Amino acid sequence: MIIVKRFLSALLATSILFTGSIQAVQAAMISTEQVAESAITAKGEQDRAKIVSMLSRDEVQSELVARGIDPMEAKSRVAALTDDEASSLASQLDNAPAGGIIGAIVLIFLVLLLTDILGFTKIFPFTRSIR
Amino acid sequence: MKASVYRICILAFLCLLNACAANGVREVTQSKQLPRQAELTNTPFFPQELYQCGPAALATALNAVDIQVTPEQLTPEVYIPSRQGSLQIEMLAAARRHGAIAVMIPPKLESVLQEVVAGNVVVVMQNLGFSWAPSWHYAVVVGFDLNRELLWLRSGTFKRFEMSLSAFQRTWARSESWAFVALPPGKLPATAMADDVAKALVAFEKHATTSARTIAYQSAVERWPTHLVLLMGLGNSAYKAGDMPAAARAFQQAIAAHPDAAPAYNNLANVLLVQKQAQQANNIAEKGLAVVGNDEKVRQQLLQTLAEINDYQNQHSQ
Repeated sequence: MIIVKRFLSALLATSILFTGSIQAVQAAMISTEQVAESAITAKGEQDRAKIVSMLSRDEVQSELVARGIDPMEAKSRVAALTDDEASSLASQLDNAPAGGIIGAIVLIFLVLLLTDILGFTKIFPFTRSIR
Repeated sequence: MKASVYRICILAFLCLLNACAANGVREVTQSKQLPRQAELTNTPFFPQELYQCGPAALATALNAVDIQVTPEQLTPEVYIPSRQGSLQIEMLAAARRHGAIAVMIPPKLESVLQEVVAGNVVVVMQNLGFSWAPSWHYAVVVGFDLNRELLWLRSGTFKRFEMSLSAFQRTWARSESWAFVALPPGKLPATAMADDVAKALVAFEKHATTSARTIAYQSAVERWPTHLVLLMGLGNSAYKAGDMPAAARAFQQAIAAHPDAAPAYNNLANVLLVQKQAQQANNIAEKGLAVVGNDEKVRQQLLQTLAEINDYQNQHSQ
């Protein structure tokens, strides 16, 4: 843990140093890194929108209800996904065969379950939070 | 009562997921695109010291692309004694530090084999134990034989470790099929997506020389000529190298493909200002402001560019 912390603080320190020196050289140029960050964020937004639209389909809603998941809760959980999580979930949806939407729902179900156990959410009554 | 039914459901699902783990094998053995057999026999081999599969695998991959480095040199960069292992993120960082571009490839068996066919060895992470008692291991895939359903790895103390495709698939899936290729600037992985390459190049450019950076972005833009991040990277590399005409071309290409990419307008305006075309620079920056939307940071940067253009025009009108 200490090593990870030390590594992160060293990384942070060097990245601050780096941005400082780059900005001094070229005040008004926008770095590739900044563009990449906003491009990736935009992609995360698209991915989230895609998942929410999938969740809004009637057959998916009834599947969720059948599993005891409130569809509104599922949607708010999607809004809380990080960009990386959203994109991995979206790619699962992309790769799912036409009838395989159930598999994707199970994935969301498992994500929700995990976050329940970690104590971030409380959707399933049977989980006991570890904190 | 209800709770236990749920629990059984979950267990059943997890078992189902497990049963699917060695999928993908049939796909590749029946693949028409892959040759039946390929092996990169010239790949060097560094037998690992105790627990130090990370440095050994990385040295193998780097020497395969003619970057001379020994596992001993890499050990302080990637090995964490208390964990008796190497972190994935540090494997990628160390490859970059030695001048290679480290690109994650899609988590599919087919991708690994395609990279081998393209001449790139693949560093993979495996869990040779169980998910609940992990035994993490880095190895390098160097060849395969689809007729015999196996592949070969530089692994641990084995120079040519033979593993069945399904065993590999299972042990590899436990690392979420983590795999990367380390390539010299100018070469691209055969299977990686544009976004993954862009991510790798943005990380690579921090340590790269100006020429390496330009070559790397140039080759990526040739394959994906409309990718915004790659075009911005190419333009910025050319700008840093002092090649303003090339920088202007890249930013113009970015604008043509993404008419609402305000950062491209901003950087083009800066290039034009360096070329002493203040009026044109002003027009381009104004266009950028028109499309910037609600990105406050880029708006400020555009306003700063306009202020600089203004200063320049004032100085030269006197």
